[in-house]
Amino acid sequence: MNNQKTNQLLVLFILFTVSLFAQENYTISGIVKEAENGETTFGASVFLKGTTIGAVSNEYGFYSITAPKGNYTLVVSYIGFADVTQEISLDQNFKIDFEIKEDTTQLDEIVISSEEPERVSLRSPQMSVTKVKVATIKKMPVVLGEVDIVKAIQILPGVTNTGEASGGFNVRGGAVDQNLVLLDEAIIYNTSHLLGFFSVFNADAIKDVKLYKGAIPARFGGRVSSVLDVRQKDGNANKFMLTGGIGAISSRLAAEGPLFKDKGSFLIAGRGSYAHLFMKAADEENSANFYDLNLKTHYKINDNNKLYLSGYFGRDNFNFEGGFKSGYGNLSGNLRWNHIFNDKLFSNASLIYSKYDYDLDLDAFEFDWVSSIKNYNIKYDLKYYASDKVKLDFGVNAIYYDFDPGAIKPTSESSPINALQLDKKKAFESGLYINAEHKLTDRLTAQYGLRYSSFSRLGGQSLMNYENNQPVVYNKNLGIYQSGTAVGETDYSKGDEIETFSNLEPRLGLSYQLNESSSVKAGYSRTAQYIHLLSNTSAVTPLDVWTPSGKFIKPQLSDQFALGYFRNFKDKAYSFEAEVYYKTVDNRIDYIDGSDLIGNNTIETEILNGESRGYGLELLLRKSKGRFTGLFGYTISKSEQRTLGGNAGGPGINNGNWYNTAQDRTHDFSLTGSYKLNEKWTFGSNLVFQTGRPVTYPNGQYEYEGVSIANYSDRNSNRLSSYHRLDLSATYVPNRKPNNRWKGEWVFGIYNVYNQKNAASVSFGQNRETGANEATRTSIFGIVPSVSYNFKF
Amino acid sequence: MTTISRIIIVVILASIIFTSCTDVIDVDVPEAESRLVIEASIDWEKGTSGSDQTIKLSKSTPYFEQQSVPATGASVKVTNANDGTFFIFDDQNNGAYTTNSFIPELNQSYTLEIIYIGETYTATETLTPVVDIEDIYQSMDKGISDVLEINVDFQDPANEENFYFFKIQEQADALPTLFDIKDEFVDGNLINIFNERDEDEDINQEEYQPGDSVDIEFHGISEQYFEYISLLIIQFEATDNPFGTIPVPLKGNCINESNRNKDAFGYFRLTEVVKSTYIFQ
Repeated sequence: MNNQKTNQLLVLFILFTVSLFAQENYTISGIVKEAENGETTFGASVFLKGTTIGAVSNEYGFYSITAPKGNYTLVVSYIGFADVTQEISLDQNFKIDFEIKEDTTQLDEIVISSEEPERVSLRSPQMSVTKVKVATIKKMPVVLGEVDIVKAIQILPGVTNTGEASGGFNVRGGAVDQNLVLLDEAIIYNTSHLLGFFSVFNADAIKDVKLYKGAIPARFGGRVSSVLDVRQKDGNANKFMLTGGIGAISSRLAAEGPLFKDKGSFLIAGRGSYAHLFMKAADEENSANFYDLNLKTHYKINDNNKLYLSGYFGRDNFNFEGGFKSGYGNLSGNLRWNHIFNDKLFSNASLIYSKYDYDLDLDAFEFDWVSSIKNYNIKYDLKYYASDKVKLDFGVNAIYYDFDPGAIKPTSESSPINALQLDKKKAFESGLYINAEHKLTDRLTAQYGLRYSSFSRLGGQSLMNYENNQPVVYNKNLGIYQSGTAVGETDYSKGDEIETFSNLEPRLGLSYQLNESSSVKAGYSRTAQYIHLLSNTSAVTPLDVWTPSGKFIKPQLSDQFALGYFRNFKDKAYSFEAEVYYKTVDNRIDYIDGSDLIGNNTIETEILNGESRGYGLELLLRKSKGRFTGLFGYTISKSEQRTLGGNAGGPGINNGNWYNTAQDRTHDFSLTGSYKLNEKWTFGSNLVFQTGRPVTYPNGQYEYEGVSIANYSDRNSNRLSSYHRLDLSATYVPNRKPNNRWKGEWVFGIYNVYNQKNAASVSFGQNRETGANEATRTSIFGIVPSVSYNFKF
Repeated sequence: MTTISRIIIVVILASIIFTSCTDVIDVDVPEAESRLVIEASIDWEKGTSGSDQTIKLSKSTPYFEQQSVPATGASVKVTNANDGTFFIFDDQNNGAYTTNSFIPELNQSYTLEIIYIGETYTATETLTPVVDIEDIYQSMDKGISDVLEINVDFQDPANEENFYFFKIQEQADALPTLFDIKDEFVDGNLINIFNERDEDEDINQEEYQPGDSVDIEFHGISEQYFEYISLLIIQFEATDNPFGTIPVPLKGNCINESNRNKDAFGYFRLTEVVKSTYIFQ
């Protein structure tokens, strides 16, 4: 498809919507904020009581609703906050900003007055999405008392990870690199601290977290599995405040307050772990630590213009004295300009930079290894509240990537290693989208959108050519895949495009409201992913490198279908969601036997293009009111992949058979609850059970070179034993005077209460003393008690 | 796999090992049908005639049943692919097949033919030369711990691809340490290989001590054998850790002409080798 066609579609959309609001309608618009700290509220519903007219506040708190002339009761509701109602006589356009207050009575089981706090989410065609407030995450028991957003979302059905000491997360059987992780819109390439023990998000600096497991809205692109949209707090606009905590692993301190004479606010949050983490007492010279810094500030130029600046910097360091030093981390920054054109048209322009780099200095081997990925990103997003029936989102996005897959430098005169710079790669990705949320009838709402994405791998490097255009060939004689024969290079100059791809990605959603408390939804989305994380290990590692699509690697294309049933009951204290999904991914990279990815300039000789598919049923029951709140999630699913020989010939990887991906979990069950006993004590617990990770076990052995050699069966055809654990926590808020500014709390936790030795891996080998073959289980966390102290001042 | 990435993976592993605990467990593993294992290692030690050679045949067994099952009654023949000279290896009825009349020729291609229980296995390889060892010595300051290390230095020939295989065996140990080396990042350099051992009470392992004797074998190998042995070494070092690659079936070069689904395990290699013994001072 070409650009022109997309433009035609865009014009069509706009014409269509213009015709819809030629009646005598008026608009109410404004910003929803929290009264206590002035933070804008994302996802508050603003609606006219007794009608189906309403809207949800956007990421910047902005809402706009349009209704025919008349008298209405306007209600603003947001979970955990008291409803705000206002009588309104709609005979002109209004601009009203609302301040909402935390509902302190809610926890004493007094039914809050809200008519329909969840009505919009029942009605919205958006499915497969979960929003989690950081306040909820903070109540969950966590390992070593470190509040962790990435671990918290794994409680949700359809979300898992590879193990306790592994980075990232997997959504609906997808791989870690298929998640688009955004921190204030900036792409975060690695979400882990300390190889996955903790995540890069400092909960004190985060406002909310939204995870799209499917049905990804048209405004997001570039990943096929999910979007994790993490938003930082703006900072308290009313008063100066300190928040902090002292934990077993790290300490945190955040300062926030008003700025520019109440025209703005700032937040600065830092977190640092203690050195010598996890290290055996005897190894005092060795250390591992991490730190990070979050920044946010905003400035209100006037009612219609606001500037936001946010930044993140995080770093991990490992130092093994005399052996090696390694460091890695993310850096990101975003400058945004919110502009309200009028009461119906909201816009945001963003300039974003992000970078991830990895550095390893090997004293023992006298060389240094560095690699990085950087991108510059420009976005312009608009939201047009066309009428009470139609809302439009549209925008453009352009990203320039700079990949440095690795450089090796000798670090001493005597180093036996020669210097090497792998070819740097450059690419340009762009997107253009439009999406309409269209209320077709009182019960039926549709969401239809289209994203046009395009990706160019840019020149400025040379690429190897291969005999018969086969970077990988099947050696029929030995029955293995090998590198193809290189036959010279082609040099691409800086102006050249090595390869260009473009895709049209339709996104569709429908919701039909069955009655006041239940609805059914259906969705379809097509997504394209142009950059890939090269990783042939079970879990991703910090040194895995990203690589762009190009001459040898095609973009991943995914189609996902989902169907769901949603219901609120018992006065909306409970909600129940059930979804089924089926998805396919084309051009999923797979790795030939014995593939070598690090320090390899010709990755194409190690990979084949395969496909993957997954399907599942997810159930989620939540209780969000009362002394006891919690959720119960269950998923039954399948995730598998297949890679045929294709151009390389031969049967393909794993003989061309479908096999389980490392993310396949048949059953995944979690129960999380929090019980507020009284003003002083709150208790929490997690219970998690899931099918073990697919692994490959030996099916025989023989002696060769004086050692026992295992022969392995088909890839991922065995499983680790099931993973399960129970965690408990208790939060104690000491007695304090109501007017005391200092608010402290103690959090006591026990992770893995019954000390289950869950296998992170099982390895097979010979005992070096006896020579006998044995299976060795590695487990990461046994029972881990923790205490931390948090305060606000 | 290159040495570089191996080193880096080891580093990552070292980082997580501090946090985890390990124990030996009982695991049910699948059992595949037994196959013929061919350990046809024609190694020509520098300075000898290379006429005495042995080929070992055995049968694979279930993973936790490590008895040796010799394969006897086979006919074993190695042929010089150039002039057709062939060498019959005599069955010693214990799995060993020997000859004392082999004629090694550097860079010469040879074929192996084995007939065992009505099935014919074949393989082809080239006898690959090796440079001399420049020096063998001990040190303390290399590696991650300050313990005794054994060092081997050799000069890699410049501007050609070379592949090497080392076997280092402390005489009192049950198992050797295997190394594979590719000159990709070190072409033309004086290459140093060192080996140290950390104390490990679990397997009753001590650091190298003065008086320990270490046998060293240094082979020149073909690229094809390098691919095989490097994968073998990775998997032998038990890498199904969270950051390990997925283990895969090892495929050697001994093909079952009668049934490709039952290719033999093992390999037919021809190398030139330097052997030496070092005693720690």
